[in-house]
Amino acid sequence: MDNLLQILFNGLSVGAVYALFALGYTLVFSVLGVINFAHGAVFTLGAYFTYLLLGGAVGSNGLLAGAQLPEGLPFWVALVLAGLGCALVSVGLEAVAFGPLRRRQAEPLLSLITSLGAGVVLVNLIQILMGAEGYALPAGSLGQLPVTLELGGARVRTIQVVLMLVSALVLVLLTLWLERSRGGKALQAVAEDATTARLLGIDSDAMIQLCFAVSGFLAGLSGGLVGLSLSITGPYFGIGYGLKALGVLVLGGLGSVPGAVLAGLIVGLAEALVPGEWSGYKDAVAFAFLFGMLLLRPQGLLGRAVVTKV
Amino acid sequence: MPSLQWPDGSTTRALLVAALVALAGCRGSDRGATSAVKLDGGVPVGAVLALTGNANVYGQDQKVGLNLAQQEINGAGGIAGRPLKLTIEDGGSDEAGANAAMTLQINRGVLAVVGPTLSQQAFSADPIAQRRGMPVVGPSNTATGIPEIGSFISRVSAQSSEIAPLSIGMALKLQPNLKRAAVFYAQDDAYGTAETVIFQKALAEKGLKPVTVQRTQINDLDFQNQITAALNLKPDLVVLSLQAVDGGNLIRQLRELGYRGLIVVGNGMNTPNIYPICQRHCDGILIAQAYSPELATPANQAFIKRFQASQGGAIPPQLTAQAYTALQVIAEALQRLEKRQPLAGADLGQTRRSLMQEILGGTYQTPLGEIRFTPEGEVIQKQFYVARVKMNPTGNGGRFELLP
Repeated sequence: MDNLLQILFNGLSVGAVYALFALGYTLVFSVLGVINFAHGAVFTLGAYFTYLLLGGAVGSNGLLAGAQLPEGLPFWVALVLAGLGCALVSVGLEAVAFGPLRRRQAEPLLSLITSLGAGVVLVNLIQILMGAEGYALPAGSLGQLPVTLELGGARVRTIQVVLMLVSALVLVLLTLWLERSRGGKALQAVAEDATTARLLGIDSDAMIQLCFAVSGFLAGLSGGLVGLSLSITGPYFGIGYGLKALGVLVLGGLGSVPGAVLAGLIVGLAEALVPGEWSGYKDAVAFAFLFGMLLLRPQGLLGRAVVTKV
Repeated sequence: MPSLQWPDGSTTRALLVAALVALAGCRGSDRGATSAVKLDGGVPVGAVLALTGNANVYGQDQKVGLNLAQQEINGAGGIAGRPLKLTIEDGGSDEAGANAAMTLQINRGVLAVVGPTLSQQAFSADPIAQRRGMPVVGPSNTATGIPEIGSFISRVSAQSSEIAPLSIGMALKLQPNLKRAAVFYAQDDAYGTAETVIFQKALAEKGLKPVTVQRTQINDLDFQNQITAALNLKPDLVVLSLQAVDGGNLIRQLRELGYRGLIVVGNGMNTPNIYPICQRHCDGILIAQAYSPELATPANQAFIKRFQASQGGAIPPQLTAQAYTALQVIAEALQRLEKRQPLAGADLGQTRRSLMQEILGGTYQTPLGEIRFTPEGEVIQKQFYVARVKMNPTGNGGRFELLP
């Protein structure tokens, strides 16, 4: 029983990260119908922003070597500011990598490639400025909270519980915003049909920028939290999550917000169920599971089936 | 029905011609092995380092060592009066990047290559060098079987089987009652898979059969599954064959999840770049090393002085010392070769073959101590060490403290 509980916590804590990451993908996909491959780079940037705002010093390999804020901010303030910084960067990416192609009504594949290019440039910029070395956010960032919690015989790190709670909170807030607010409804209208939404008086371009801002904020938030949980392992920190989150996005149903969260948790649990001795193969197990699920339900867990009129 | 859109006939022909020209170009570059040595701007030597990707922390350390060696060599008159011209190519952290960088260096006409950084990359890129007759000196490849790739492949990094067992011996010396070892290794990394075999053999020889062997992947960041599975078996020794980034992360999570026993790590974590990742949790880990800053030879003292002058007084890491040594070996071999057979106007392929013989035939006074090579290209080194990581109280920095 203890072991099952441990597996459950292990799976949910990893799944919460996948879910947070995939939410950003989902938002952009639901509006533009393309995958924003720069999302992983923005996630990485969020971790670096958080580190710097906490008063961390830049190592010796980057152009900013030795740079440091005179005073660090409290973790939660730094995290939110990092999220806002990432929102700005994400809006900038939209203006550079997506906007021009969208206005020319280019193929979605082109936007996918430009986002990939923008992501690579961003990651390399981070390496030039911050160097290649890893950084760890200060251990006491969560204040007086203990490092590890014992929950019913299972051991889990506190930061991972925080990640689960934040993931759940973001899901609730995002769903409320999308379903109850004027902005959220306008965004849904743009996602349904940007031209019709424009005819109804909705500023589609502004809504798309808002979508990128929210997606960037979520990327920054998750980057900062994962940075605290696992350390920032270098400029390529977010790349590994990108592929996994892509699978989560598809499994959940393209464009489905609750689907992304549910799929993230399922993939996390599938990985956790792999015995420790074989966990080097957990990606294969997770993706085999994904493959099997999609054979049974091609539209994803909570996605809508596409009806073709003939 | 959707169909692939092919260009019209004329475009197709143009593409075919372009492809043929490109192929001809490839053949032409192979023929480069029969062209003359080009000494414009200096004696050309190349390097293939992991400057980007997950292994970039190693490449950055190595770049510092190569640049220092180049300055030293050229400051002392270069190769018979000509400067040594070093070209560093980024091989990324995977096999494809290393292959491309190695091919680029060969086609560029360099006389020898230092690199690639990872054993995993060497198993892919070194066969290319072997086929094209390019001397290679591996600065950090420790997996079993690297020099055996071919007659043009050598290394200055002693293989794991020489070094790794020393740290197991030291762990037992510090805590003779160790009974339960847990082993972790990256199963998709040539270095990790080779080193864990050596570690497990050393453990078995000491009567410490592992209670669990946990497999990870080189890009893993979250190890909660493996760690909790291992901790359930109450290990009193943890042995890791992982790279710096994943290893540092695993140690941090291991300590945070309550493990308090000894940790032995392999050569992949032999870099100060682990300090920012595991911070105070790095304290106390044991590691066997092929380089010690405390080695009191003139070559090492001169190297340390030069390193500290350029790096603000820091202590040189092993990877920097090994990269420095690799270029020193090539430079000294070039100097001997130049005396026997002038490089200017010499046949490139023949010069590379002769240089490889010179590399293997020499004895070198280096920061690693005196080194030589076996006829197969394996380094023969006299001194190895075991160090314990000593972090400073803030956890922001530390050092490898040598153990007697």
